[in-house]
Amino acid sequence: MPQNESELFQALSNAVVEMDEDRARELSIEAVDRGIDAYTAIERGLVDGMGRAGDLFESEEYFIPELLLCSDAMYAGLDILRPHLKVEDANQRRFKVVIGVVEGDTHDIGKNLVRIMLEASGFDVIDLGRDIPAQRFVDTAVSENADVIALSTLMTTTMDAMAEVVEKLQTSNLRERFKVILGGGPISPSFAKRIHADGYANSAPNAVKLVKQLAGVPA
Amino acid sequence: MDRDRMTPVQRFAAYGRGDAIDRLPCVPIVGNTAARVVGAKVSDFRGNGRLIAAAQVAAYQRFGYDVIRIFTDLYTQAEAMGARVHYPGDETAYLAAPAIESVEQIATLEPANPHKDGNLPAHLEAMSRAIAAVGNEVVVTGALTGPFTTASFLIGTETLVRLMLKNPAAVHQLCEIALESALAYAEAILDTGCTPSLTDAMCSTTVISPKQFREFGQPYLTRLIEFIHSHNRSVTLHICGKTHAIWEQMCETGADCLSIDNAADLAEAKAMVGDRVRLMGNVSPSEIMLQGTPDQVRAAVRECVRKAHDNPKGLIVASGCSLPVETPFANIDAMLNAVREIGWPIHVGEEEMETAWRA
Repeated sequence: MPQNESELFQALSNAVVEMDEDRARELSIEAVDRGIDAYTAIERGLVDGMGRAGDLFESEEYFIPELLLCSDAMYAGLDILRPHLKVEDANQRRFKVVIGVVEGDTHDIGKNLVRIMLEASGFDVIDLGRDIPAQRFVDTAVSENADVIALSTLMTTTMDAMAEVVEKLQTSNLRERFKVILGGGPISPSFAKRIHADGYANSAPNAVKLVKQLAGVPA
Repeated sequence: MDRDRMTPVQRFAAYGRGDAIDRLPCVPIVGNTAARVVGAKVSDFRGNGRLIAAAQVAAYQRFGYDVIRIFTDLYTQAEAMGARVHYPGDETAYLAAPAIESVEQIATLEPANPHKDGNLPAHLEAMSRAIAAVGNEVVVTGALTGPFTTASFLIGTETLVRLMLKNPAAVHQLCEIALESALAYAEAILDTGCTPSLTDAMCSTTVISPKQFREFGQPYLTRLIEFIHSHNRSVTLHICGKTHAIWEQMCETGADCLSIDNAADLAEAKAMVGDRVRLMGNVSPSEIMLQGTPDQVRAAVRECVRKAHDNPKGLIVASGCSLPVETPFANIDAMLNAVREIGWPIHVGEEEMETAWRA
């Protein structure tokens, strides 16, 4: 077991990068037992590890399978550490994203990666899942008081469903209240512009950069 | 624009021999767009081989491209093995639920019987009918989904990619069953007189690593291609998304032609593997073919030709992937007309470097 706090955070981070779910769980329990601040353990351990995994993904050393297993390790640790967050850390208002795959499409790996990377970057994410009607994005964004609606599709046939979300926001006079961002295989910056979305990202790490930009957080 | 002097069959034969042709082969990969040509709904294709054939033949006759591909979606083999596919009224079908949910259930899977299960018999009927109608003049292929991709539809993509790292034996077991189905279906396709045309979408390095492709994709593709070669047919292999890092391996599968997505670069492919395989590609199906103008299509075609017309093993001008259903007919016409305009011998001057369409 790691000797001091720094070593423990480093070990937690490594467990995520090394896709070692059991180790992440074990180290998180160790952190709780030692009375280490849960927020710091999450930030300097699990989140740091997921950030490193994201870098490896960007440099094409890791691919989707590795990134998913890293996130499994991160979530295993989070499940243990989150209940120990101080009330003010747990309840702080964070920038909130409603995410989902639009109606007519069930390809959701890309969307899941974006959710994972956003959560690892400290954003609140409401994941609606896949094959989601336009109205549900709007309703959820309103009821959750979200900041961003993130739409995903892999298929050209369902691109129009993205435009429908924007149109619904417009007709409900809600367009100014939320930023709408897009991602997925057939989507391009020109398409995002054409349907009056606020942004487009071509990968999960870039989606995080985009949301940070919209939230006014330094990247 | 004058229609062509050669039929697709004559053109491919002459091109293969290195003889003069009238224009480069050209394949806007028309899938369910064919429904629009005959005024049918996409969901009408379900289980209706007669209609699939009528629509695909009509689309070929309407546009004059070089390959008919009997295709509606990538799920046909997985569906025939128990995956649930949803058919929206007038759009391309999508996977509603995989056939199984856990590794333990792999043992319950059985290879599909192409003459009995799911929509496979309808697709085989479509192939036979298309061959009977126009097989003497145009190449007719039958879409065949690669084993790794079918495996992902059988157990769910996220589950499958996790298993690659946690339980590789289970992945191989799934790929073996998927391969068995694919071999039986390939044989049935060959019996109709069609050539199987392979797509293994999930092998893309957008999803898995080159190393994972070598372990879980390549061996099964190789066995499938060996089988098709044993029937003296050449094989086109399409993998979606990024593929640059696996072009060498795609060649090692024995494929004769690589169909390259617009996420990859034809000039790079030519430099790396053009001495071994014909290249097919790669106008963007979404940005250019669906959303662009005929002028942008023309510019994109000229760029493809400029990059790869001198590919040692030849070039087929094509879309980077299947066309979206609502692709404007004018853009499909523009693709063919651009190739006719370039003609033969090929003439695309450097001075006209048209990159404006990228803006």
